[in-house]
Amino acid sequence: MEIKTTAIAGTLESSDIQIMLMAGQDGIQIDLESDVIKQFGNQIKQVITTTLQQLNIDNVKVRAVDKGALDCVIKARTIAAAQRALAQTTPAWEVL
Amino acid sequence: MSSTIVELDLQRPAERAEWQQLLTRLGIHNFSHREVDQIDFTLGLYEDGELVGTGSAAGNILKYIGVCNQASEPGVRFNQIASALIDRLFQQRIFHMLVFTKAQYSASFQHVGFKELAHSDQAALLENGTPDITDFIQQIPRTTQQAEQRVAAIVMNANPFTNGHRYLVEQAAHANDVVYVLVVQTDASLFTTVERVQLVKAGTADLNNVIVISGGDYAVSYATFPAYFLDSPASAIEAQTTLDARIFKNHLAPALNITTRYLGSEPTSRTTAIYNDVLQRELAPTIAVKIIERKQVAAKPISARDVRQLIKTGNLTTLDQLVPLPTAQLIKQRLPQLQARIQKGMKINGN
Repeated sequence: MEIKTTAIAGTLESSDIQIMLMAGQDGIQIDLESDVIKQFGNQIKQVITTTLQQLNIDNVKVRAVDKGALDCVIKARTIAAAQRALAQTTPAWEVL
Repeated sequence: MSSTIVELDLQRPAERAEWQQLLTRLGIHNFSHREVDQIDFTLGLYEDGELVGTGSAAGNILKYIGVCNQASEPGVRFNQIASALIDRLFQQRIFHMLVFTKAQYSASFQHVGFKELAHSDQAALLENGTPDITDFIQQIPRTTQQAEQRVAAIVMNANPFTNGHRYLVEQAAHANDVVYVLVVQTDASLFTTVERVQLVKAGTADLNNVIVISGGDYAVSYATFPAYFLDSPASAIEAQTTLDARIFKNHLAPALNITTRYLGSEPTSRTTAIYNDVLQRELAPTIAVKIIERKQVAAKPISARDVRQLIKTGNLTTLDQLVPLPTAQLIKQRLPQLQARIQKGMKINGN
C-alpha cells in the first residue's frame, strides 16, 4: 500500500512512542530515538516493521521517538499512524 | 494533579500577562511586536490551574518554548508541550518544522526527535518532519561530472533581479563550470518568491552553466536568518548568520561539491555587511569566499533598493540601465500592483 500523506500518532510522554510515517521508496526505513535503544532498539524496530508489513506497507520512512513504550503501545501507535497515512477510516481488525 | 494543554489567546490581556510572566521567569525577554506578531498559535500547559509551560508556532517555526520544571521531573512538561505543538502542526498539514534555540537546549529537542542542522556556542537550529534537508539536497539538479567540476554558489533575494545581480552571476559563471543561484524562498519581499525566481531564471537563461534553485528553508530563510527580514540588533544577526553559514558549509556545499561562494560587496546594508563578514569567517578555508565589487551605473553601485524606490515614485526613466530586460518588462507590466503592495505597507527600505 502507498503512503498517501505524512502522518503521526502517539505522544512524547512517558511510556508512549511517537510514530511519524512518510512516503519512502526504499523499503521500511526506521529512524529510532530512544533512551533504551541499546537494550530494546531492535525489539522496537521489529514490532514496527511487523505491524507495517501486516498492513501491507512496503515502502515507508519511519521516525520513531520512544519514551519507554511497551510492545502493545508501539503496535497501537504504528497502526494509528499507518491508517492516517493511508487515509483509512475503518480499523484493520485482522492486524489488531 | 490534573494537567491540560489549552490554546492561549495572547490578545487577551490576562492570558498574555501570565504567558509573558512565565517566559520572563525562564529568561526570555524579547516580546517586541515584530517577534510576537508572527505567532500563529500558542499552547499553554496548566497544572492545577497554574501555567507551567508554553510553546508557539509561526508558520513552521517553533517559538517561545518554555517550561518550568519546579515540582516536576525534568523533561516531562517539555515533552508534553513539544508533543502538542507537533500534533497541532500536523493537523494543519505542516509536516516540516524548525526551531532556533539556545545551544544548551539543543539536546532537549534532539531527545524528542529533532535533528540538529547547525550549532554555535550560543545557538542551534534543528528540524523535524519531512521533507528534511536530506530530501531538499536530493532534489537539487546536478551535472553528471559534478564531482570533478569547479562549482560555485550565490545566494540572493533578488528583490528584484538587477544588472548588479547579473554581473555577479556572470563573474561566477566565467570562472566556474557550474554555478548554483539559490533564491531566497521566504515570501516577505516586495516581489513575490514566484516573481523573483522567474526573473532570476529569465535574467540568466543565456548562461548555460547556471542552475537556479530555491534556497528552501536552508539559505537565508525566516528560519535560518529572520533578521534578514526583520530589523534586528547586531548580536542577533551575528548569531543567525553563523548558523546559516554553517548549514551551507556542512550540508549544502559538500553534497554539491561547492568550493566557492560569491558575494557582492556591501556598502549600504548593515545586515548584509555583517552576513558577508560572518561568511568569510565561517566558510574559509574549506570554501573560498569571493567578494565581487558592485557593478556601478553613473558612479553609483546598482542596488535593488534603488529600483524599489523608482517603483514607489513611478519614475522609471533610469530603470533600463539598472535591470535586465525581463525585470524591466515585469515592472512596467505590474507597476500598479507593485505600488499597491507598497501602499499596503510592504517595506522597501530593508532587503
